[in-house]
Amino acid sequence: MGFVMRVKLTETLRDGTLKNYFENGKKAGYQFDVRLAYYRGHYLSVIDEFAVEVDHEKVEDMDIRFCVNGKEFMPCELKEAYYEFWNIKKPATIKIRKEGGLTAGEHNVKLTLMIRNPYLPQPGAEDKYTPVDSCDEKVLVLQDTIA
Amino acid sequence: MNMSNIKLGVTTHSYVAEWVDDKATLEDMVRHIADLGCDGMEIVATSMFPEYPYVSDAYAGEIRRYAKDYGVKLVAVSGNMDRGKRYDRNLTEDEMLSIVIRDLQNANKLECPVLKSQFLISPRVMQRAAKYAEYYGVKLTIEIHNPETPTSKIMTDYYNAFEETGSSYLGFVPDFGMFADRPNKADMDRAIEGGANRDIVETAIQLRYDGVSREEGRKILAEKNAAPMEMNLFESMYGFMQFSKNPDFDGLRKIMKYSPHMHGKFIDILDDGTEATIPYDKILKVLDEENYDGYIVSEFEGQVKPGRSSFDYVRKHIALERKILEELNR
Repeated sequence: MGFVMRVKLTETLRDGTLKNYFENGKKAGYQFDVRLAYYRGHYLSVIDEFAVEVDHEKVEDMDIRFCVNGKEFMPCELKEAYYEFWNIKKPATIKIRKEGGLTAGEHNVKLTLMIRNPYLPQPGAEDKYTPVDSCDEKVLVLQDTIA
Repeated sequence: MNMSNIKLGVTTHSYVAEWVDDKATLEDMVRHIADLGCDGMEIVATSMFPEYPYVSDAYAGEIRRYAKDYGVKLVAVSGNMDRGKRYDRNLTEDEMLSIVIRDLQNANKLECPVLKSQFLISPRVMQRAAKYAEYYGVKLTIEIHNPETPTSKIMTDYYNAFEETGSSYLGFVPDFGMFADRPNKADMDRAIEGGANRDIVETAIQLRYDGVSREEGRKILAEKNAAPMEMNLFESMYGFMQFSKNPDFDGLRKIMKYSPHMHGKFIDILDDGTEATIPYDKILKVLDEENYDGYIVSEFEGQVKPGRSSFDYVRKHIALERKILEELNR
């Protein structure tokens, strides 16, 4: 790959946001927040690569929900989300289905998030756009308050 | 003395580091602009509009309050043309025109006289958009940004398209980065500190000054066994960090009648008060001679040094422009 833009102006994986969520009275999974590493917002359709690894294990696409603007998208639905705008100031919440949730304590979270800049074609190309790297990896701490 | 009416303002993009990191609000930016004695602000839609691509009544009210309470009004909306937002194809002309019409409507709602779009829009879409720009009373412009110049091929196509329509509602927003006449010394020093060979860096700069073609320059540097980082530096001199001993000031004079608004790009202000790469004294002299009547909005695109903020850089930039303008009008 040629030139890749990297513009990280704020934390991508957000500290203090890892928590379990419940469905029907049971821990159904966990979630954490993500901000885009760039200087403007983008339509979700410019996301070219999106994947999550937690504690060094890849999460299945079908278990992931990408949540913004009060809506929940499956990863395969992102590429056609031409009219869903992800504001640069708003976190997206990544929800991951996992019965029983995560244990309290530290978890390594690795986010792959590559987008293309839809207004910045690569030099000499008509339909290839400059990639932007919004990936991140860090340890997030889950403070489980509901046993 | 000339009859120019050069007004100074600031684009919200200058403060993007603090904005994205939740350290500054829109009102903080407005307050700073007012504090600098300026009355014009450009707003970047894709970064600032809370309901992009729409403008709510509440947001329009907020902008109106800033005009009333701080005396800072919107002088341009900066839009993006996301031609590549679909994975399977580029947007069609109709789809791009639709984006432009919505942006014009937004600018009108915000009582803003200029909409800046981007060159991907195409000259034909600009022509088709002219009647909507006229209807909304908003001038539709495209930015001329490095590596383009006022008379490069694409911009000449736009110029001819504007002439053909005869509309006074189409135009250009020149970005001063394209008039850079020297490389950014700080970047070069950083590269050399980071291991780049001084001789190769200086050769690369000289190749650029001499107007040697990109392909020819690559060959010459390859023969000198330039490392990838040195090659990248060379490539940047032909892209977004372009510079030339003879900036296209004649081109600037030519397009002036189509320029209601300009971007005062800056990367750094040196200790002596000058910009690191862009000859502001020469640019402002041209604008003054051509009787420019419009805004220059300060657009900071450099790295904020530790312990400082974007706000400090904007203040210095406005001071630099004021000093030159005072000398010109003496």
